[in-house]
Parts: sequence; structure tokens; C-alpha cells
Amino acid sequence: MKRAGAILIAVTGVALALATLLYFMPLPGSTPAVSNEPRAEGGDFVLTSAAGPIALADFRGKLVVIYFGYTFCPDACPTSLGALAAALAQLPAEAAKNVRGIFVSLDPERDTPEILRDYAPYFHPAIVGVSGTPREIAAVARQYGVIYSKQRADAAGNYAVDHSSFLYLVAPDGKLAHKLAHGASPAEIAAKIQSVLKSANSSQ
Amino acid sequence: MTKIIMTKAIALGLALFLATFSGAVLAADSELTVEDAYVRMPPPGARVGAAFMIIGNPTSAARKLVRAQSPAAKVVELHTHRVHEGYMQMRKIDAIEISAAGRVELKPGAYHLMLIDLKTGSKEGDTVPITLFFDDGKSKRIAVPLRRDVVPTSSESGAKN
Repeated sequence: MKRAGAILIAVTGVALALATLLYFMPLPGSTPAVSNEPRAEGGDFVLTSAAGPIALADFRGKLVVIYFGYTFCPDACPTSLGALAAALAQLPAEAAKNVRGIFVSLDPERDTPEILRDYAPYFHPAIVGVSGTPREIAAVARQYGVIYSKQRADAAGNYAVDHSSFLYLVAPDGKLAHKLAHGASPAEIAAKIQSVLKSANSSQ
Repeated sequence: MTKIIMTKAIALGLALFLATFSGAVLAADSELTVEDAYVRMPPPGARVGAAFMIIGNPTSAARKLVRAQSPAAKVVELHTHRVHEGYMQMRKIDAIEISAAGRVELKPGAYHLMLIDLKTGSKEGDTVPITLFFDDGKSKRIAVPLRRDVVPTSSESGAKN
């Protein structure tokens, strides 16, 4: 009987350890063994839109979805921004009015604030596009654990920027609440936005 | 000096010859089929658009799509999209294979044709002519409709503040 108790404790211990391990495991999409994503906690930043500086803190009280990409991106970025736009369109009106999107360019050399002013709201009017100096962009990317790498330009001067692709959900209090892996459906994005909004309301 | 001009003239001649010659050879229509083709319109400010489609190969031999061009874009590149160590990598590739009696889907998150410097000003529903070139020397001309591919923001969504 004593032995059974010991086994039970051992099994519970192993299960707890496993659960802890799983809980802290990186989200799908990144490779755990060679993860080069730093521990990222998000946080405030100020970048530049065509209308002037945009601070994440300007949106306190609203849920902000941040996406990092570049306008010369043929597929990943339009797909993610399109999914976000579709999610915003699915939200009930009272939730939608409390959500904003920020598209941060990882290609500040080509993506001027003027280009981003035209680009980002095309997907949804609640999304604003921001750029900055390469150093400012690098700092914000590091805060959020975004990895990116400018590729060599071809003969015509065109180049790709490899980058990680997540949607970062920042709660109304400014804290990074969740990140959604690339490929999340509009319904999944909308559900996550609503659950973050709901927990923000209940904690008030 | 004259040597450079000579070289340039020869190069130009060669290019013209090749253009004419390949044009004649590639006039043969490919048996391959194309379905559900669309060009995702480049958002304002963006220089690139992407074309997606399903290419079917009813023949008993594997075929490769080796090149594409369009008078509406400066450059058309065959692209793959893969995830490597957390990075989204959209890369130019030399060919897209279509197995015998098989098909290949060009879709978001996978293969696509990247259209660089697509002439904008066109509206949804307008078509972009694209010519696909295959490894058997045959080609296929298609008229691909532009699609916005973004869910329209309905006025009742309330997102406009």
C-alpha cells in the first residue's frame, strides 16, 4: 500500500514536470532545439507613421494586434494581414471598436512611412503602418522576439527579408498577452482577440 | 572603346536573335491545364503581387514550369514559401514540377508567382495576361483576374472608430 502511494506520487511528479515543460515550450512554428528567439516580453515603443510618431501607449485601453513584415513581401505578409482584417471584420461591433492593428516594417530602408500609410489600411482601416530607423526597428523586434534577416539583393536591387510571422496580441493594459502562429484562421484570431478582451474586462 | 561598342552590339544582336527564336519555338500550346487562377492585387504602396493557380498535367510525362512572364509586370519569378528555423522564406526557384497525370497547387503559403512592379491602377476583375513556359518548350497563355483577396470591411463591423 505504501509502495502504491510512492508510485502515485512519482507519477504525479513526472506528470507535473511534463506539464510545466509543455507550458514553457515555444509555440509551434519555431524550432525548440535551435530556437534563436530571445525571451520576449513585448512592451512599449514609439515608431513613425506618415502622420507622426505612434506610441503603443497611445492605444492603452484598446487591444492592439501587432504584425511585423514588409511591403515587398509577396505572400506571408498579405496573407497574415488579410487574415487579421477578416478577423476584425468578424468581431462584434463593441469588440471591434476596442481593437487596433499596427504593421511594423522590418524593411525600413524601402518602407517609408508614406508607403506604409497607403499599404496598411488597405487591409483594414483600423491598421496603421509604422517604420523607423533600422536601429529602432531592431530594438522593437528584439522586444517582441521577432527574427528577421535581409537577403542579398538581386541584379535589379530587389531583395527579400526573411522573418518570423506571428500576430502579437497586446492587452488593453499594454502587456503582451498572446502570440498567434502564422496560418491562424480569421475565426481563431477573432476568438483569441475576444478572449483577451474578456479577461481584460473581468480584471478591471 | 570600339571594342566595348562591338561587344555591346554583338550582345544586343544575340539577345534579339534569342528573343525572336525562342518566341517562335515556344509558340506551341502546352497540353497542361490551368484552373482557379488569380492575381492577388498588390496593396497600394506595394510593388509586388502574387499569382496563384492550379496547374494540371493530363499527360503521361512529368512537366516542369520553368518560367513565366507578363507584359503587366517587370519581372515574374517562380517562388516557393517555406519556414526555416522560424523564418518565413520566400525564395526564387528554377522550376515547379507537375507530376505525370498530376497537378500542383500554387496557393498562399506555398508556391506562387511573384509579380514585381506590377502595373497598378487596374481594378478587381481586370485580367493580367501571363505566359507560362514549360520544360518541353511549350507554353500557355492565360488571362488571370485580379482579386483583392481581402475581406471587405462591412460598415456594420464598427471598426471605423
